[in-house]
Amino acid sequence: MLTLRDLSVDYPGFAGRYTLSVPTGGLCAIVGPSGGGKTTLLSAIAGFEPISGGSLEVGGTSILDLPPARRPVTVLFQDYNLFPHLTVLQNVGLGLRPDLRLAPADTRRAEEALASVDLAGMGPRRPATLSGGERQRAALARALVMERPVLLLDEAFGPLDPGLRLEMLGLVDRLRRARGLTVVMSIHTPEDVVGVADSVAFVESGRVLLQDTPEAVFGSELEPVRRFMGRRGGQRH
Amino acid sequence: MAGTAVAVLVFVVVAVALVGLAQAGGRFDIAFLTSVYIGRLLAVSTVQAAASTVLSLALGIPLALSLARRTAFPGRRLLLGLLATATVLPGIVVVFAVVAVYGRSGLVGTALRAAGIEPGGWLYGLPGILIAHVLLNAPFCARVMLRAFESTEPEAHRLAAQLGLTGRAVFLCLDWPVIRREVPALAALVFLLCFTSFATVLALGGGPDRATLEVAIYEALRLDADFARAASLSILQLAIGVVLAGAYAAGLRRTRELPFAGRPAPRADREIPALRTLDVVVLSLASLFIVPPLLSVAAGATSLAALRDPEVAQAVVTSLAFALAAAVLATGAAVLLALAATGRGRPPVAVGLVAYVQLAVPPFTLVAGLFVVLRPVLDTASMGPPMVVLVNALMALPFCVRLVEPPLRQSEERHGRVADMLGLAGLARLRLLHWPALRAPALASFAMAASLSLGDLGVVAFFGGPDLKTLPLLLYERLGAYRTDEAAALALLLALLVFGLALLAIRGGEARADAA
Repeated sequence: MLTLRDLSVDYPGFAGRYTLSVPTGGLCAIVGPSGGGKTTLLSAIAGFEPISGGSLEVGGTSILDLPPARRPVTVLFQDYNLFPHLTVLQNVGLGLRPDLRLAPADTRRAEEALASVDLAGMGPRRPATLSGGERQRAALARALVMERPVLLLDEAFGPLDPGLRLEMLGLVDRLRRARGLTVVMSIHTPEDVVGVADSVAFVESGRVLLQDTPEAVFGSELEPVRRFMGRRGGQRH
Repeated sequence: MAGTAVAVLVFVVVAVALVGLAQAGGRFDIAFLTSVYIGRLLAVSTVQAAASTVLSLALGIPLALSLARRTAFPGRRLLLGLLATATVLPGIVVVFAVVAVYGRSGLVGTALRAAGIEPGGWLYGLPGILIAHVLLNAPFCARVMLRAFESTEPEAHRLAAQLGLTGRAVFLCLDWPVIRREVPALAALVFLLCFTSFATVLALGGGPDRATLEVAIYEALRLDADFARAASLSILQLAIGVVLAGAYAAGLRRTRELPFAGRPAPRADREIPALRTLDVVVLSLASLFIVPPLLSVAAGATSLAALRDPEVAQAVVTSLAFALAAAVLATGAAVLLALAATGRGRPPVAVGLVAYVQLAVPPFTLVAGLFVVLRPVLDTASMGPPMVVLVNALMALPFCVRLVEPPLRQSEERHGRVADMLGLAGLARLRLLHWPALRAPALASFAMAASLSLGDLGVVAFFGGPDLKTLPLLLYERLGAYRTDEAAALALLLALLVFGLALLAIRGGEARADAA
């Protein structure tokens, strides 16, 4: 269980107060207008934002005092997930050994993880020779070897083509079911996650205005949601 | 931590030097500082530096505009190469070039004599200083401004072309804002460089009434061993340096970080006939001013035999050893400082200030102060080498920081979070995350520091003697003794060494641009 209660992030001109709860093994999609605080929410969970109040728990234990590397959390960013000068295998290996002194067993695990994201044999290549989708899959492989129970995706598949995006979502969904991962992902295109996400959280102005099933959120009559979805007041499709 | 330690160490060295000076100076000599002598010294330096700055900008800005407009003419690349060369030439080599072209027995003098006019000694004094300073700084201004003009958004020029703006309108709408943005910092820097100029003024000044404060401090120390006077002058120099460095820093805040120039926009005013004529005139005049002195340095190739002299060999070894040591020291310190400045959280204040130390604190103040402090412990001869290396490294440090910090910052911005998440810290972070991004800039910083140290005639003029001679010092002596052939060969050798290193530095900078 991932639980946020009034988790507070304050900047000049921005005040985030996040309350959210995702059951273990659940997949929660974060939607909302740009600039509304989706990335800040994920950064706060990952430990990249100074927190000014509230609580953040994984499995009933507060993780607020842990540095990013020690939190039970991994993140996939939209880009720059891989170090360009290391091979794909080394990039994955970093998830096992941050100093890259890989034992043969580590190398084997990294190769297995690459195979599980359909990148078998790509280990020796450099990130620059991979397509955008392949790069994100390699980063996903690294997240898997780290064996952290919570996976955060910060519009990680945003720049990909629609077909590829759905494919990646399917992969994430498969992996989380196989490994019991708790997934929180911010997305741009709401229709992608219908049928994949257990819940959707609508974030605007640093608040989670609504968290419910995808159908309930996307069909909500709340004014900010209607505006975000492009529906006129009172009309329903 | 290490970066903060380096910054603190720098400040400790400076503080020790200043305290040493203050003690040597005894009571602060207000009467001396308000004397007619000082007033005259300051007035003369100010006029010289202001005139040098105005002339450098007056030549550099039109040259940059002409080069921006004319993107393809025969010799453009060569001219750009020559501008880059002039920018990195050591001051004493420029002095040689100016004498070779404008001196009594130089090109102009010979031509005048052939025409039946006896050339006078007009060069020594303000004219010579101005020519040398403009020769060094106008190409620098032109390069800075060209890059600024070229980074104007392509859309702006496309719009101007579509609207059919006149040349005047293009200048007012597109170029004037660039000039207003960039020139304050540029002018402050050039003024500062000319105000504190040492080698040029020492060699071309033609007497005590043309001295800068640097030269006055040097004379007080070296000729008169008058530490009290040197201390008072240093403190004055320091005060002025702080004000000018502040002005530079303030100006710098107005400029913006220029993106690595992609393909510059085709300018909207390329096809205007009047500007075409203007550009031909500007480019011709600029070439006429810049090319002959550089050719005169190249002409040293005809007297290379003069280099077969054990003293020259010794000077080469000494110069290279000093340059190497200073470059290693400066680059190592710069990397540590940059790491401290780019880490998470607010960078320590001391780290940010180090970049301005070299601008505000004149090298002779450091030298004089450290000399006074160390004199009871070390004799002058054994103090020389470490002092030359240390002060040269300190002088190069800000340039080195400016080379290594941006790529480090970028690497940290792009990958810092992933590295944090992975727990990449300490040496592993440096090795796996930063070093690949840092390799080329670190090499550039090394080459830059080595080339500055190699060409420096400052600290070594104070400590130099029969046992301690670098190439610039040897060149200065040969020039003073009118041994023209040897001077020509030395100038060429020095120019080639410095140019080679500068090329290495530019390559390193470009490798960084490619990786970005």
